[in-house]
Amino acid sequence: MKRKGLGFYLRIYFKILAQDLKSKMSYRADFIISTFGMIFTNIAGFVSFRIMFGNFPSINGYNYYEILFLYGFSLISITPTQCMLDNNWSLRQQVYSGDFIKYCFRPINLFFYYESEIFDVKGLGQLAFGIGTLVYAWAKLGMAVTPLAVVKVTVYLMTASLVMAALQNAGAASCFWIENSFYVLDLAFRFKDYAKYPITIFSTVFRFVFTYIIPIAFIAYYPALVVLRPEDVPLLSWLSPPAGCVFFFLSYKLWMLGASKYNGTGS
Amino acid sequence: MENIIEIKNITKEFRVPDRREGLKGSIKDLFSRRYHTVKAVDDISMEIKQGEIVGYLGPNGAGKSTTIKMMTGVLEPSSGEITVNGCVPYKNRTRNAQNIGVVFGQRSQLWWALPLIESFKLLKDIYMIPDEQYDEMMSLYGSLVDIEPLLHKPVRQMSLGQRTLSDILAAFLHDPKIVFLDEPTIGLDVSMKAKIRTLIAELNRRKNTTVILTTHDMGDVDALCERIVIIDHGKMLYDNDIEHLKKFFGAYRTLKLRVRGDMEQEAQRIAEELPMCSVKTDDNWISVLVNEDEQKVVSVLSQLQNSHDIRDMQLEEISSEEVIKRIYEGGVE
Repeated sequence: MKRKGLGFYLRIYFKILAQDLKSKMSYRADFIISTFGMIFTNIAGFVSFRIMFGNFPSINGYNYYEILFLYGFSLISITPTQCMLDNNWSLRQQVYSGDFIKYCFRPINLFFYYESEIFDVKGLGQLAFGIGTLVYAWAKLGMAVTPLAVVKVTVYLMTASLVMAALQNAGAASCFWIENSFYVLDLAFRFKDYAKYPITIFSTVFRFVFTYIIPIAFIAYYPALVVLRPEDVPLLSWLSPPAGCVFFFLSYKLWMLGASKYNGTGS
Repeated sequence: MENIIEIKNITKEFRVPDRREGLKGSIKDLFSRRYHTVKAVDDISMEIKQGEIVGYLGPNGAGKSTTIKMMTGVLEPSSGEITVNGCVPYKNRTRNAQNIGVVFGQRSQLWWALPLIESFKLLKDIYMIPDEQYDEMMSLYGSLVDIEPLLHKPVRQMSLGQRTLSDILAAFLHDPKIVFLDEPTIGLDVSMKAKIRTLIAELNRRKNTTVILTTHDMGDVDALCERIVIIDHGKMLYDNDIEHLKKFFGAYRTLKLRVRGDMEQEAQRIAEELPMCSVKTDDNWISVLVNEDEQKVVSVLSQLQNSHDIRDMQLEEISSEEVIKRIYEGGVE
């Protein structure tokens, strides 16, 4: 049998994606409503952000546009998780009911096959919104647009998104061990709300927790500093790409370990 | 012929927590948990040849699904050896998956929102099915079932029967060596059942695919299986061809009689006249179970004719269902 490499998986992914989009668009009302829902969610998020900043002109030495930059950064780095790992939300239900077993009989990577089933299109709107915010903040901050800066932002965004993915994977994988694991995943996902603030506003304990235990500081703060404060980059910022890869790898291993322990319910 | 599946003394144990009763018990459970082991599969061995259709039977909870999960590589046996198509399934789950097809009666593995044809195309890519083989399979399907109306229908809009049919077609698409069918006809109407049985039989014949079939429907067994394996409480009760099983119980026939007079009294008299046979009675019939090795039904009948006024009679062969029921209840011995 031929080895199934990255090319193979990408091709399969895009084929499933294309089919999925096609079938989603055939449910027009559903498509339109969810698109509107997504737009309003983002506007609401932005409005509450504005209101808060109406009251505090700066947070811990970060001005409005810098915080806006972090906000945009976190929106983008959350997007891949939202779009591509959305099926993690139904993992608990599938494991509980025994339906998960049906994913175990294909000759391809189980994690890939499971997650490829669903692509959440709504996330793409968030991506556009995030990019808009980031570009706007970038311009207002008057930072230079050099090819190096663009490359840096892209690389750091990609690795930051792995951290979010890792968090969600690990939260979802908990269902292989804990029966009522919804709260774990929900909690893991809610932590992302703290990712858009500079970690320095939190107390020492939380700073430690958000850096080393539930590493949400790697979703936006540390990686964004590389372009935001290039003259004073902490070590952890430089380490954020490998950290993203390591966290993701560990969460993937945890997920697969859980899946291999899984034995289904009787049928 | 060579063996496609070889199973040697496999056992699967599960550790099940003993849950204590009540709220107090639940709190105690939080701190100290006791476990006991349950043997879902207990020392089972069998060999299955390429091209066989094996009916894998047993009451609910007998260990059928567990055995199938071990053969498909989802579960690792606690002890014993298992090879499927020359490799150990749980160690090579993805490689094993290339050579098997699986259908679970009520859990469709197809993409829920996609029309069947799109699911087929995705499977073609996933299993890397060559174009020629794919086309050949599709034209074979076309000749066996009326596939055209199914192809462009999203799976979620299909009836249960159409979905099962589609799942079976999908399982055979990559021309696997073995197909596992777990209760494929559950919940289907009579004509759909017949259609699915014919389809399975045809695919097995044309492609020489080994089929492992679990079912509670004796119709499936009678229509498809030459060999049956019966397990209960994880232990193997029977493994032989179905003819042998019928022969074993085939010596027994049930003679049903309707006689003039009070049925209860007449039944009593018949029981006294025929000490070798067991006699039962219900509202309409007196049933006499005759072992033909000891006494021919014809002689029993002529004996009874002299002493009773027989108005109607029926002769019943023992059905596979009856046979299996007896095995579940009492074993072959």
